[in-house]
Amino acid sequence: MKIKEIDLKNIFLSKLNRKLTMLFLIVGLVAPSIAIYYFYQITISAMPESISVEQSALLETAAIMIIILIAIDAAIIGFFVSRSISKPIKKLYNATRQVEKGNYNIKIDINTKDEIAELAQAFNRTTATLGKMEEERREIDSAKTEFLSITSHELRSPMTPMKAQLQMLEEGYFGKLSKKQKESLEIVVRNADRLDNIIVDFLEISRIEAARLKFNFRETNIEETVRDTVKLMEAFAKEKNIELVLKIKNLPIIEADPDRITQVLRNLINNAIKFSKETSKIEISSETKNDHILFSVKDYGVGLTPENQIRIFEPFYQVESAARRRHGGTGLGLAICRGIVESQKGKIWVESKEGYGSKFSFTLPLEPIRKIEPIKVLFSQKSSIDRKIREEFKTMLGPLGLGEFEELKSKNALGKDDIIDYIDSLIQLHIFDTKNGIVFKNKIGQIFGDKKENINGTKIIHGISLKW
Amino acid sequence: MDAYNVEPIESVEKSKSKTTKTILVVDDEPDIRESVKMILEMNGYSVVMAINGDDCLEKVNEYKPDLILLDIMMPGTPVTEVVKKIQDIKIAFMSVVRISDARKRGLCAQGNIVDFFQKPFNVAELVERVELILSE
Repeated sequence: MKIKEIDLKNIFLSKLNRKLTMLFLIVGLVAPSIAIYYFYQITISAMPESISVEQSALLETAAIMIIILIAIDAAIIGFFVSRSISKPIKKLYNATRQVEKGNYNIKIDINTKDEIAELAQAFNRTTATLGKMEEERREIDSAKTEFLSITSHELRSPMTPMKAQLQMLEEGYFGKLSKKQKESLEIVVRNADRLDNIIVDFLEISRIEAARLKFNFRETNIEETVRDTVKLMEAFAKEKNIELVLKIKNLPIIEADPDRITQVLRNLINNAIKFSKETSKIEISSETKNDHILFSVKDYGVGLTPENQIRIFEPFYQVESAARRRHGGTGLGLAICRGIVESQKGKIWVESKEGYGSKFSFTLPLEPIRKIEPIKVLFSQKSSIDRKIREEFKTMLGPLGLGEFEELKSKNALGKDDIIDYIDSLIQLHIFDTKNGIVFKNKIGQIFGDKKENINGTKIIHGISLKW
Repeated sequence: MDAYNVEPIESVEKSKSKTTKTILVVDDEPDIRESVKMILEMNGYSVVMAINGDDCLEKVNEYKPDLILLDIMMPGTPVTEVVKKIQDIKIAFMSVVRISDARKRGLCAQGNIVDFFQKPFNVAELVERVELILSE
């Protein structure tokens, strides 16, 4: 019973099937109707009046019966003919959907020995190639992660005797050092430490990418964790006379890894201190919202340009090389923060206004995510942004747009402000009317993350909704 | 080779003073061995070196050290096997592996495993902690 139902449903769901059957039915009705009408006319006119009156009812019934039978026949034939076409197409469609989902193991079995069978074979070959490419991509990906992990370990082993010997020198194991020797040694030690930090960060990234990041989930008092972290960072803040202001609202005790929360918070507070002026303040807040805890660190420092806001979580992304050099750091801190937060299915983002300050926020789900997933930390957003801009140029300007895009790219003028200027010039040249210009500008703005969907679903605009 | 060169000197030193504690340093990296040896000797300990797990077991029988500083990742017999054979001497691990990973491998379960030094280690901290371990 059930099988029949599904069959019926399938028949009616296939549009091609329905269309062709209808077509056959109509042809099956019209063609014999015309033919029989003529035949009827001829028969009637050939017969004497008396017989024709008698026979006409019978003839009419016979004619209608014949028409109906032919029509039904045609419909049945049409149904099977169209089914022989629509069925393999349906198969192909389902298989394509599977490929769309990333299942490349699919093979279609169509043996109709016609063009559709050829199409199916071509499809099978294509999916096989795609599957091979996907497998290769995965292999390369894991090789990259593995390479990163092994090299980091290998790089770390020579650090051990090196640092030990340096410390021995420093601590006077081999006699007192002259002032110059001490200065020289200080530089070596500082850079050895820096190198070691980079290696440690690399290892961390390789762990994040391979989903091998260790989480030690346990009953955690979030309020305590936040307070302890802030207390720890106060010593660093004091050096620049910066006040750390803590705002805490109904924080629960949940199962989480406090060390990871501290790691992210420390990193954000550390950055905030680095980029704040002396005697300013940093606000750290934490509160429970729906199904997550929201943490944020807000400073009144140098702030970030819109471009920098999107790319700041990329590894080694340099906001301002001079300032960075002054501040030290490995350039991997925020990338690792993103990895830690996203591994736990949280979100991390920044809102900032240049010259006024930045606010970094991240969320932590109340329910711990036990299955840690690999996160592509080393993935750069730049190419994806460029690609989106290119698409937008193509849709807004047509084929002409690609040339324009390449020209802007060659001038290294694909920043948000550059493109806005460019659109303004198009409006001035009357290539665009003002309305379309605004649409274009908005789309570019969106690519650069101007309007970002907040996690609560409310729209916020960077730098405008924030009160500095 | 280095390990054999120092043997006679150590046995002489050992016989000189009974209070000198002996530490066995096990690491497959010569520079690490040498560095740890330098640090510990200059802090008044007698140091024996071994280049892997099997060598470690031999030296344990020969010298009966008070403490073994043991690397985790070494060629030859796995450290998990080696530690099982040493039940009455204090062992402290020295490794680039993190303590959480070592615990996962079940390396820290034994009662005579007293400490864990993360490489690269801090010299002052190493001296302090070794002193504490040996004073207990």
